[in-house]
Amino acid sequence: MIWATPMLAGLVAAIAVPSLVILYFLKLRRIPREVSSTLLWKKAIQDLQANAPFQRLRRNLLLFLQLIILGLILLALAQPRSTATASAGRKLVILIDRSASMRAVDGETARSTPITRLEVAKERAIRLVEGLASPSLFEEADKADEAMVIAFDRSAEIVSQFTSDKQSLINAINGIVQTDGPSTIEEAYRLAQSQRPNRVFIDTGPTGEGTDPVEIEGIKGGDAYFFHLFSDGKISDLDVVRADEDVAEAPSFEYHAVGDASSVSVGLTALRAERDYEDPTKLSVFVGVQSTDPNPRSVDAELLVGGAVVSVRPVVLEGAEVDEQTGTREASSGGVVFELNEPDGVVVGVRLATGFGEADLDVLDTDNRGTLIVPPAKQSTVALVTTGSLFLQEALRGLSISDLQIMTPAQYETMREAGDAGAIDLFVFDRTMPKAGDGGVVFDPGRYLVVGDVYTGPGGVVDQGDGPGTQIINWRRTHPLLRDLTLDAVVIGKSRTIEIPEGSELVSLAETTEGPAIVEMSTGDVRAVMVGFDPAFSNWPFDVSFVVFLASAVDYLGTQVGVDVDVNARQITPGFVLADRVPTDAGNIRVKLPDGSMSGEVIAAPDGRIVYGPIRETGVYSVQWNGSAGASDVKDDGKVLRFYAANLLDAPESDLGTSEVLDLSNRVVSASGQGEITRLKEWWPWLLIGALGVMMFEWWIYNRKVYL
Amino acid sequence: MLRSENPTRPATIEELLSSELIGKISHLDVSSRKIFAGKLKGERRSKKRGESVEFADHRPYATGDDLRHIDWNIYARLDRFFMKLFMEEEDLSLHIVIDASASADCGEPNKFYYMQQVAMSLGYIGLLNLNRVAVTAVGMRDELVLAGGDQSIAGNIRDLRGRRRTHDLARFLCSMTPEGGTDFGQACKRIAMTRRGKGVMIVLSDFLMKEGYETGLRMLVGRGYDVFAIQVLSPQEVEPDIAGDLQLRDVEDGDMAEVTISAPLLKKYKENLSAYCQELRDFCARREITGLTIQSDTPIDTLLVEYLRKRGLLR
Repeated sequence: MIWATPMLAGLVAAIAVPSLVILYFLKLRRIPREVSSTLLWKKAIQDLQANAPFQRLRRNLLLFLQLIILGLILLALAQPRSTATASAGRKLVILIDRSASMRAVDGETARSTPITRLEVAKERAIRLVEGLASPSLFEEADKADEAMVIAFDRSAEIVSQFTSDKQSLINAINGIVQTDGPSTIEEAYRLAQSQRPNRVFIDTGPTGEGTDPVEIEGIKGGDAYFFHLFSDGKISDLDVVRADEDVAEAPSFEYHAVGDASSVSVGLTALRAERDYEDPTKLSVFVGVQSTDPNPRSVDAELLVGGAVVSVRPVVLEGAEVDEQTGTREASSGGVVFELNEPDGVVVGVRLATGFGEADLDVLDTDNRGTLIVPPAKQSTVALVTTGSLFLQEALRGLSISDLQIMTPAQYETMREAGDAGAIDLFVFDRTMPKAGDGGVVFDPGRYLVVGDVYTGPGGVVDQGDGPGTQIINWRRTHPLLRDLTLDAVVIGKSRTIEIPEGSELVSLAETTEGPAIVEMSTGDVRAVMVGFDPAFSNWPFDVSFVVFLASAVDYLGTQVGVDVDVNARQITPGFVLADRVPTDAGNIRVKLPDGSMSGEVIAAPDGRIVYGPIRETGVYSVQWNGSAGASDVKDDGKVLRFYAANLLDAPESDLGTSEVLDLSNRVVSASGQGEITRLKEWWPWLLIGALGVMMFEWWIYNRKVYL
Repeated sequence: MLRSENPTRPATIEELLSSELIGKISHLDVSSRKIFAGKLKGERRSKKRGESVEFADHRPYATGDDLRHIDWNIYARLDRFFMKLFMEEEDLSLHIVIDASASADCGEPNKFYYMQQVAMSLGYIGLLNLNRVAVTAVGMRDELVLAGGDQSIAGNIRDLRGRRRTHDLARFLCSMTPEGGTDFGQACKRIAMTRRGKGVMIVLSDFLMKEGYETGLRMLVGRGYDVFAIQVLSPQEVEPDIAGDLQLRDVEDGDMAEVTISAPLLKKYKENLSAYCQELRDFCARREITGLTIQSDTPIDTLLVEYLRKRGLLR
């Protein structure tokens, strides 16, 4: 029991109690009445007094009751609180995990209706908040505990800034919405730390005179923060968190574990669709399944096309390996492949039928479903515009491109004038360039691979003519065009010295000692990759990387966004943003969410780039706009729709056993007792209610005494 | 219980004795369980042998006896003189004592007014039947009301006889005002001392006397009266209708009692009251006094025709 304001209460008591007693003595103003005789009355009073067991008490019963009331009010005024560890004035950071794994329904098994871990986490966080030291009514406010609430999955959000207003904290906690994203704590931790002031150093020097204070970025000072993490511990990047030193026996980082360490789940961890390269109407759907159940399981994987089950395959999963010593489990995994013939664009769904008859064996439902947006099979058409080079022609032929046309520059110009160029997905120019058309336009909207020549027009490179022999020394290994190959062995006999002007949007993909060798140009409608040097004067055509480069180029340029779509490009992960390009003339762009609601208008960048998110839930999203449609887009009622599928597909999130310990960067934190959060209980409302009760009792006694 | 704010003060005989009541009580007469010697010839059997037509006894003749009363039939049979004795009929003395202290001036209906009415009715019955009627008002007064009297006597009228004196009786009763305290014992002693002859005595009072009523009543009984004690209480004294924190002041002696009216207190009061009344009745019964407690809202004719007839005061 602590008293927040004992001195005040004592002072008031010193004044109020004697006052009440004095008032009581002065209080009774009896109404005079003349009666025929007081004989019987006196006898009656004497009789009553003689019979009463506690004459004094009886006579002053009302006074006693009033003293009790006053005492209760005075006790309330002293604001008693009960708890063992109450150091007021703490700053608490309440971190609540809202990631997909918190959707598991093993939150509290004792309840009749299972609730999710997030609900349990919220309840326990609310209990923690209720137990905070609230500002006492009379003292300065800084003795109260303050708390900040941060909800996080992959991203983090401050749902309540530091405040001591418990109700607003509770409202903020209740307002946290479940998401389906993976959980990382880094952003949440940085958000919390950013609230702390930087530590300030004052160099006193040998003379002892202080210099101006110097704030040091990155080193945090100010009050110690007490972190309270409500999570199931499935957080991938706990090592970024550095717990402060414990202050006064209060742990600076408390981990409130939610959920059950023995919970098991079967979930999808991979989902991928591939069209056959030779025959794009053949579609293969690869399904990866993970189980954390120590017992072997066999689950049925259902394949749904357009919402209807078309195939069911059993997936046999071995039991997860359990390390007896540490209790950690190594999830077992399995998979299944569905083959189907589907030339059109479809929505492919995969569903795991788990828990038949044993519903509690799979506590998370989100990871049992997955969706893929499969665009229609599209065969890319490639046209080689050449004056007759063998290397490119043969290499492209060898790529088994379904439709390869070979034409001369003159044929190309004819085709261009006729307006048929749009039917070709990719033009490969071999040591030539399109002629500048009307208004100096060199490239019509489309995709181009230019080998042995460069574009020097507006926005193009500066061509400084032939250069000496050289080698490729650096290239963008992450670029989709180059990531599969190595260019170390390429020796160039006759290079071309080119420069990229400053401020240009050109990107150099590979560089020789003389400068850029491969340049990518990307404007709104045009994407062109230009190889500056002539491969005929190098050993590149004889290297395997040449063929791989061409294949990647066909793949990258021929099937890129806006022309065709990679089968798996329309997958997004919850917690990340939906980023894509729409045609530049798209207007009124909106995103339809899985629950059917529409987002506000999304404003596209000038090049058609849109960003929406972060995505919170799994399911099918669609971006809708008015305007022209891309190749794979669906037109519906004047609108253009493009579908995206958000799937969890996260093995750590699907491993639902709650972690007992957290490995922070500087120490290991064990889960604190389930629900045993020290509460700071305020007693004064009860005391006031008690005072009210006694007052009503007194009123009742008074009425009983006076009236019949 | 509380002092009446606007007590009825009768001014005429009509207010004391309505003609309607006269009709109801005219056939009544005062009776007594005892037989007393009277003063004048009257309608009451006397202890004395006298000249009525009713035979009483014989006694031997003595020289000088009136020859007219010799029983000649006995002389013829026994040859001796015997005198015939007859009952004497004389008047009855009816003495009404009325409590004129301040405590009587309380209640609704006013107790004193009620006592005045009862006294008037009884007095009228007495006068109607040729009885000697006397009324004494007891109550402490600051100065002597009657020469040679006592401060405890507030007023006195005696030797009223015959219907003609009805108005004298009414005038006397109307002139009485209830005030001051009582010294019941002293007053009774005075009455007993100054009283000539014996007869029926009716005491009208509330008998709520701090000094006690026993001495006074004993004094009256001791002189051989046939005493009727009629205790008049107001309905408010029986069922108090007061509430709250009160300072009760005795109208007679100014004594204060601070009470907080509560259910237990009222219960206790009622118990005390009934015990007090019972005590009075027991006291009376032991001394051949007829005791009666009446509330001042009881109709006068009910009191006279039912209660007092039942108790033998009237017939």
